[in-house]
Amino acid sequence: MSKTTPLHGLHVALKAQMADFGGYDMPLWYPAGTRTEHLAVLTGAGLFDTSHMAVVMITGADARELLQHCFTKNLDRCVGKKLLPLSPGRCAYGAFLDEAGSVMDDAIVSMINETTYMTVVNAGMGNTITRHLADEARAASRAADIHDFTDRVGKIDLQGPRSADILASVLANPAILQEPMPFFSFRGHFDGYAPEADQVRLVNGAPVLLSRTGYTGEFGFELYMDPSRLGDSWDLIMNAGAPYGCLPCGLAARDSLRAGAVLPLSHQDIGDWPFINHPWEHALPFTEDRRGFTKRFIGDDALLAHQGTGSFTLPFAGFDLRKVQTGPQTTVVDSKNTVLGTVLTCVTDVSIDRVESQILSVNNPDIPQGFRPRGLCCGFVRLTSPLEEGSIVTVKDTRRSLPAMIMKDIRPDRTARRPVREMLTSDDTHSHRVSNKSKH
Amino acid sequence: MKEISELLFPEDVLYAEDHEWSKIEDGVATVGINDYAQDQLGDIVYVELPQVGESFERGDEFGTVESVKAVSELYMPLSGEIIAVNENLEDSPELINQSPYEEGWIIKIRPDDDNEAEELMEKEAYLSFLKGDD
Repeated sequence: MSKTTPLHGLHVALKAQMADFGGYDMPLWYPAGTRTEHLAVLTGAGLFDTSHMAVVMITGADARELLQHCFTKNLDRCVGKKLLPLSPGRCAYGAFLDEAGSVMDDAIVSMINETTYMTVVNAGMGNTITRHLADEARAASRAADIHDFTDRVGKIDLQGPRSADILASVLANPAILQEPMPFFSFRGHFDGYAPEADQVRLVNGAPVLLSRTGYTGEFGFELYMDPSRLGDSWDLIMNAGAPYGCLPCGLAARDSLRAGAVLPLSHQDIGDWPFINHPWEHALPFTEDRRGFTKRFIGDDALLAHQGTGSFTLPFAGFDLRKVQTGPQTTVVDSKNTVLGTVLTCVTDVSIDRVESQILSVNNPDIPQGFRPRGLCCGFVRLTSPLEEGSIVTVKDTRRSLPAMIMKDIRPDRTARRPVREMLTSDDTHSHRVSNKSKH
Repeated sequence: MKEISELLFPEDVLYAEDHEWSKIEDGVATVGINDYAQDQLGDIVYVELPQVGESFERGDEFGTVESVKAVSELYMPLSGEIIAVNENLEDSPELINQSPYEEGWIIKIRPDDDNEAEELMEKEAYLSFLKGDD
């Protein structure tokens, strides 16, 4: 029997197609359909229920030291181009590994204050990561308390270029959108008793931890809140979002959006093998010469032992929208039919297509007239030796053999990193701006 | 997901266990996938059609429908020769979602054996099958 999120009844009422994901009965798509939902996130906005994900809180004097020991990212060298230390209101992407360098789960770590960190892991992983962190704290007598907040924090993701406009009309203090809030930063708190809670509230009074993150590659926010506030907050955002084309979006659109954005799905694209030789090495604390790491952490020696050897995970894109099924029967072969590896993810990003030798997205600023993408199959392959960008391979299941190109990146013109004020088109925040500035 | 009661199942077509429908008129069977199948599959993005003139046995795979979720086989509800394919599906595969029994038809067959149609289900029998299937 699957678990449900507090929004389950709403998904069913909206006639979503439901399926189990990570032990939760989750919406795959709503009646608009995956294609429309995916495109809405590129051109308008989409709202996702992501409350199946698990929040783990790490508190105490040694919280940071514990995370430095367990998490791949170097929290003392991770913010911006200058690699500044993680500071309150900033977050970082990385993974929790075992001694063999294999992935227990990937995660975002958010620093709330000097002694309070939040990490968000995948559905069903709250307990595993909580126990792991608690064991590592105990083993070295670190002063850190670990609390599994699985099902105690709700989350909805508002993603898409109009997200800021929609937020401007549902935030009690929309002036906050005029303050710098770069990609991978956050404000506020989901706990109404926390001192940060008053930074961000919705007009319904719900305190929100508002984070410039997401899993779509597009501009947007994740909103963490008390589970009891999810229902009315969802309705509030959907109502405010209607003029901006905001649609409820399911996991199928989330999957195709993230694949085109070259983001891994934990336990599928990363997993029970060393977390190295892949497109997500920014999550590893390499030294400048890339021959070592700038800190010690669990699994570091195993990773370095596998650097440049073993297996290599690479993004690929096909030449039309047809997919292959992933599974043990599906292989990557070269022109001589020699098996090169396996296919980890293969989905269709419906917002892109090839025009001559280039992949274009619907968000291309110089979009050719009449460009209506049919979509491209894309995802990740895991090979036994590295291949150069541009190499052509064949992905092959029991039915089909499709040509595919090894890529560095897939969907161009993504909006994830655009500054909030560049994306705001409405004037809703301006009346508050003066009074807000006077506080500083 | 729609409830079965919200899906459309016309009275004038016959249903196969693999969720294809067949409408037999003047010795020609028009075949598609039914409303339940298209609702389960979600957005259909690509259809692989057979060649006109090919012949298949009942139960043979004659093509595929590819949705955002998966690639699914299409099975012949009746043995026979393909006498037409719906070429509109090449550019507009979503017709299967929008109009599964009309504009979203997939193939026309000249059946080899008139008796085979008796093995297909009427609406009521198919609905009982579907409720057991779920």
